[in-house]
Amino acid sequence: MGMDGNPSKEKTEERCAAVLEAIHYVIKGEKILKRTGLRIGVIPVPREISSDCGMALEFSCKDRERVEQILADEDVTVIGIYALRKGQYSKL
Amino acid sequence: MIYFDNACTSFPKPPEVVDSMRDYYLRIGSSPGRSGHSLALKAGRLVFEARESLSQLFHVPRSERLVFTCNATDALNLAIMGLLREGDHVITPSMEHNSVMRPLNYLLKKGIIDLSIVPCSEEGHIDLDALKRSIKKNTRLIAVNHASNVVGTIAPVGKIGKISGEIPFLVDAAQSAGAVRIDVEAMGIDLLAFTGHKSLYGPQGTGGLFVREGIDLKPLRLGGTGSKSDSWDHPNFLPDKYECGTPNTPGIVGLGEGVRFVLSQGIDEIRQHEMRLTRSLLEGLGDIEKITVYGPKNPYEQTPTVSINVKGREASEVGYRLDRQFEIMTRVGLHCNPGTHRTIGTFPHGTVRLSMGFFNTQEEVGQVLEALRDIATAP
Repeated sequence: MGMDGNPSKEKTEERCAAVLEAIHYVIKGEKILKRTGLRIGVIPVPREISSDCGMALEFSCKDRERVEQILADEDVTVIGIYALRKGQYSKL
Repeated sequence: MIYFDNACTSFPKPPEVVDSMRDYYLRIGSSPGRSGHSLALKAGRLVFEARESLSQLFHVPRSERLVFTCNATDALNLAIMGLLREGDHVITPSMEHNSVMRPLNYLLKKGIIDLSIVPCSEEGHIDLDALKRSIKKNTRLIAVNHASNVVGTIAPVGKIGKISGEIPFLVDAAQSAGAVRIDVEAMGIDLLAFTGHKSLYGPQGTGGLFVREGIDLKPLRLGGTGSKSDSWDHPNFLPDKYECGTPNTPGIVGLGEGVRFVLSQGIDEIRQHEMRLTRSLLEGLGDIEKITVYGPKNPYEQTPTVSINVKGREASEVGYRLDRQFEIMTRVGLHCNPGTHRTIGTFPHGTVRLSMGFFNTQEEVGQVLEALRDIATAP
């Protein structure tokens, strides 16, 4: 869904969530990603991803590669990336 | 009232420090890194920004390497007790505070470590050749007080950072952080312990430790961090590895604001002002016959902390009269540092410590000198 080339706006805007190790890295990640002009949000970690009580970074799935690259350059460990499909997050 | 006890705790604080803490409690009040709601996130951002500001001040390249502690003593304990293992050798100068000497002495008496104490001059200058000669194959730590809490002497940490090489180098910056330039990269500092409530103008109950990448400390406390909550294993990543339990969020918020105050004033401007005060105080004290001044007696070589004694009078009596008769707050005695008083020849009676800060003025220096002249010449 959304990655299959269908150009409808809703589908190109498929949202992804990156789960990081700790709140420090979420806020750090948000700051460095926003600096590069990416649209980034901070959301509570969705329940279906983890029972953890932390926050996750949210962004458009089309920016996934850039997001992962920028975080890796800053030594921020990404635990997992999830895509929101049909109201459910699933691991990519 | 004149406050000359800034080496103990700085007072007053910049108004924005107090406002930020009040604002936090009125508008946020929540804990960072636990719940997922917006107030928790706001609290998380404030703690993050405090960490970033401190990293900027100390030139720490990655702010997660800087962890919050309750105070400098807590940070020094984490560094010393977390690093040292059986058979390690430690080098430290003769003028360390009890917050370094007590953990080291504990490990020494338990037979865990071997300790070399490097002599210092009466002015508090470390014998660097003796320090070099003390290095052994099993030396695992060199621990140095950046600025003396008794006589203000500033240690050449950049030079010691070069001497230490691969040996972990711990700097106790309780008296210097915010008052003297600190660059952990340029100075080769591996572990930097600081407190928030002195020259960083934050509240009591705050402090921290910079831990260089590659230095693995055993955490002294394990517990809840808000991360990896599904596991009984304590996280192995910073800052969570050394920060568990609910943090002192209002304190850290105030500390962050205090650090931004230091950054906005400029560390060089703060230092210039404090050196001018020190010069005036030293010149004035030199003119009072019955007063003995300890330490370098040179504003370039010390923080605005000056120790004195008045001939024929106990330090405690001088401190008492300064307080009751002149409303001047100082600290008398041994200042938790018997090693320094032995080094400068004032053990066990101690000294009267006059310690200034950014908010002191030349007028106050004049009034303190007048009061001391009065006490020194009284029959």
